Amino acid sequence: MNQPDPPKRAIRFLEWFCPPALAEGILGDLYEAFDQDVERMGVKSARRRFTWNVIRFFRPGIILRNNYSLTFFNNNMWSNYLKIAGRNLVKRKMYTVINAVGLSIGIAFCMLIFLFIRDERSFDKFHSKSASIYRVEEKSYDTWDRDAEQPYFYSAWLQTGLRDAIIEDIPQVKYATRYSGSNNVVVQYESKVFSEPLTFADPDFFSIFDFKSLSGNRDTYLSEKHDIVLTRSIAEKIFGSDDPLDRQLTITLNGENLQVTVTGVIEDAPANSSLDYGMIVRQENRPYFERNLSNWQSFNTPTFVELYENADPDDLAPGLDGIVEKYMAESIARDKEEYNIAEDVEMLTYHLTNLEDIHLDTDISWTRSSDPQHTYVLGGLALLILVIACINYISLALTSSAGRRNEVGIRKAIGARRSQLITQFSVEAVLLALLSLIISIVLVYLFLPNFNDFTGKGIELDPTTVLVMTGTGLLVAGFIGLLSGSYPSLYLSGLNPISVLKRLSGRVKAGFTRPLVVLQFAMSGLLIICSLIMLRQMNFLTSKNLGYKQDQVVVMNTNMGYNEQSSRIIETLRQTLTQFPEIEAVSGTSTSFNQGWSRNGYTIDGEQKSAYVYAVDHEYIPTLGIELKEGRNFTALDSNMVIVNEALVRDMGWENPLDEYLNWHEDSLSQGSKVIGVVQDYHFLSLEQQIEPMLLQNKTEAYAHLTTALIRIGSDNIPAAMDIVEQNWKKIAPDKPFDYSFLDEDVARQYEQYKRWTNIMTLATGFAILISCLGLFGLAGINAVNKTKEIGIRKVMGAESWNIFVMMNKQFILLALVSFVLAAPLSWWLMRKWLESFSYSIEIGWDVFALSIVIGLVVALLTVSYHSVRATLINPAETLKYE
Amino acid sequence: MNKAYLGEFEELVLTMVGILGEEAYGNAVVEEIEKQLEREVNLSAVHVTLYRLEDKGLVKSEMGGATSTRGGRRKRYFAITNAGLSLLRDLQENRIKLWKLLPDLKFSNL
Repeated sequence: MNQPDPPKRAIRFLEWFCPPALAEGILGDLYEAFDQDVERMGVKSARRRFTWNVIRFFRPGIILRNNYSLTFFNNNMWSNYLKIAGRNLVKRKMYTVINAVGLSIGIAFCMLIFLFIRDERSFDKFHSKSASIYRVEEKSYDTWDRDAEQPYFYSAWLQTGLRDAIIEDIPQVKYATRYSGSNNVVVQYESKVFSEPLTFADPDFFSIFDFKSLSGNRDTYLSEKHDIVLTRSIAEKIFGSDDPLDRQLTITLNGENLQVTVTGVIEDAPANSSLDYGMIVRQENRPYFERNLSNWQSFNTPTFVELYENADPDDLAPGLDGIVEKYMAESIARDKEEYNIAEDVEMLTYHLTNLEDIHLDTDISWTRSSDPQHTYVLGGLALLILVIACINYISLALTSSAGRRNEVGIRKAIGARRSQLITQFSVEAVLLALLSLIISIVLVYLFLPNFNDFTGKGIELDPTTVLVMTGTGLLVAGFIGLLSGSYPSLYLSGLNPISVLKRLSGRVKAGFTRPLVVLQFAMSGLLIICSLIMLRQMNFLTSKNLGYKQDQVVVMNTNMGYNEQSSRIIETLRQTLTQFPEIEAVSGTSTSFNQGWSRNGYTIDGEQKSAYVYAVDHEYIPTLGIELKEGRNFTALDSNMVIVNEALVRDMGWENPLDEYLNWHEDSLSQGSKVIGVVQDYHFLSLEQQIEPMLLQNKTEAYAHLTTALIRIGSDNIPAAMDIVEQNWKKIAPDKPFDYSFLDEDVARQYEQYKRWTNIMTLATGFAILISCLGLFGLAGINAVNKTKEIGIRKVMGAESWNIFVMMNKQFILLALVSFVLAAPLSWWLMRKWLESFSYSIEIGWDVFALSIVIGLVVALLTVSYHSVRATLINPAETLKYE
Repeated sequence: MNKAYLGEFEELVLTMVGILGEEAYGNAVVEEIEKQLEREVNLSAVHVTLYRLEDKGLVKSEMGGATSTRGGRRKRYFAITNAGLSLLRDLQENRIKLWKLLPDLKFSNL
């Protein structure tokens, strides 16, 4: 009679939790009850009742009778798993190395990304009161670029008078400080001259923020108008090891000298602070402070407030609206009338953003803010590399499983359960992942400086960071160990011991490896295509003809401010320097490339127009080699004339531009400046932007000061020429630092961020290719071993080496091709998105894809060839002699 | 000396072990309780109680011989110890003593 059996699973469960001494008696009783149940109510119900009864045994009265908790696991088996895993790692060195390299790079990437995210999120959180510190912002109706979809304009730059108005009118505000500028100014101490960043703030700055004081009495910082607080690094630079307190410094602000007294030193702004201050002086010292204070039309400084602890920022809205009403009602009404804006439109409102949210706020531009998208991109890259590494492990484990089958068969035959085998293989994977973790920590140590460079961060490895990082690494390692171990272990443990031991099935069919390799290659392909396109775009940006000659031009700021004196000194410099044959030309401009811009709005015939305005002298166009389309250049004697670009001519719709006048500074007395020339459009802004209307103007009273000299060097001996410039500058302006850069570098700096991402992308691609090639190398090796006999027989039958080589490589080439077909559309889509951020970009042509495929194929072929060549060259007598 | 305290169910199981004599194992106790008292008890509860009684020294256990039924598992036989027996006897005497102190109300309200 065929006895029905109780459910096995339930029995195993009972055996797992029940103390062995008791298990037999209990199980026997359960069996007995089961047999009775079968007779009474049928097999199904009996089985159900059996399971239920087992579950009822899972109670403290039984479980707690276990002598020690470790009997939950089988200790002996675990030590055996570890031993076997270790032996396997040592025995199959090549796979261990391939996998460890891949996994450790993957884990290292993950840890770096984790550090990156952690740093991003740590921004500004170190202030003890950060939760009640807010940045005030304006949301104003944009009368300049009228756009129905985005009619509003957001900015953190506010009126100078706002700070005092807030203190006066809003009771919830405890402290408020303006915070503007970190531009470099000239600082003199005794006979030494420095150029250091200067910040204008209010004394409340030190009450609101926690930046650490190093010397001086924090409570009296900036209590006098001519006090200055230095940062540690600037104090060390100026005073060395001397005590800086109470020393006198001279700073030059907008051409005027100002005596200040050092009253304190604070720590430098940490890398994760949104406020990146330099030396700090009172707002009252800012140029045009008095004028700005009463001018509610000029938005020129950010403002921070600290609220009382229990104040709700939403409650400030009425007070802020009151300030708008009180100071700006008139001008708002005027604007509405002038620009025909509906009565109910809110022209200007103030809002608050918490200090902690500033960093990832992309609506309002701020010096150190960052786009959360960067985090996603980096995370995506790390994930890609990790997946590629995991696939290596899986496909290598599957393809090489032939050697493990006997072990599985024997283990099963002597009673190993499937779950035990799964555990055993998982232990192997996790052990490998942990090994990789150690390597990856070393990698992080090595690569962190480069990573900081690439991402523009200053992450340091302090003990907490290392601890947290190792924790993350441990999690990632454990997770990927289990993940990549799971499929091979499921597959291997599912082998039938009888057929394995009787050698019924010849070759292991691990069909799943192919899709995995395709996936892996598709990912690498994606990265290859993307980085190729990015590299090309960068190359395009840096080599595109910008419409002017940017090489061998020295850009030197006079550091004298925006005034007549600065213009005159450039003239003097020209007269001196042009005597030397090494110097080709010297010209002056109000703003050099990538050092900002100024844009004037003006109304002509009731229509609002705007143009970028540059004050230049008569040497500007020849010095930069800008092409004149029509008319003539300025002469040294011209005044109040303009040269415009073609875009402006189009914008104005002029037929004969040389007959026109342009009233760009809305002079009510005259018809404006005469247009004397038209220059060909050149890229005075970065290539992210279209060429907009622009004018060059010369000696228009009060508008045409030159601040920067552009010096074209004629000889190839740049150091010698620089010496000449420096010596003469020292003679002409002994109290000003020699502060220069090269024009082509300035221009290239506009694309620094893109360059950075291209670098990261290239690096990730490099690693991805490396890891997938290692994997491919391993696969090809196993493949060659599996086919040794086949090759031997083929050679005996007369196959040429060439045929065998083709046979060995055929499938890999096919896989690589399929992968690229999969990767191409996705990368095309991604890169189109990226290129949209440039006004001038390359076309994504078929050649990029072709080139990527060629690169991929060549790399793949080179990788597999080692094995196929070896397999091809082997003497068939060697491989077949045992048959 | 304080006598070990026994719960109602413990006392019941201990009694059954005594009644069953040589044939006392988990399932038998369950069946005996069912038979004598028509009370459904759970096997796991009986087992847990038996082990607890064993801890207290009121019963002792040993494994029986191999069987072909019961999935090949041996039975764990329990036998009442002298301590167990004397405890049962004490309990019984105490109960009778108390019973006798009860006033004659037995039938009055029925």
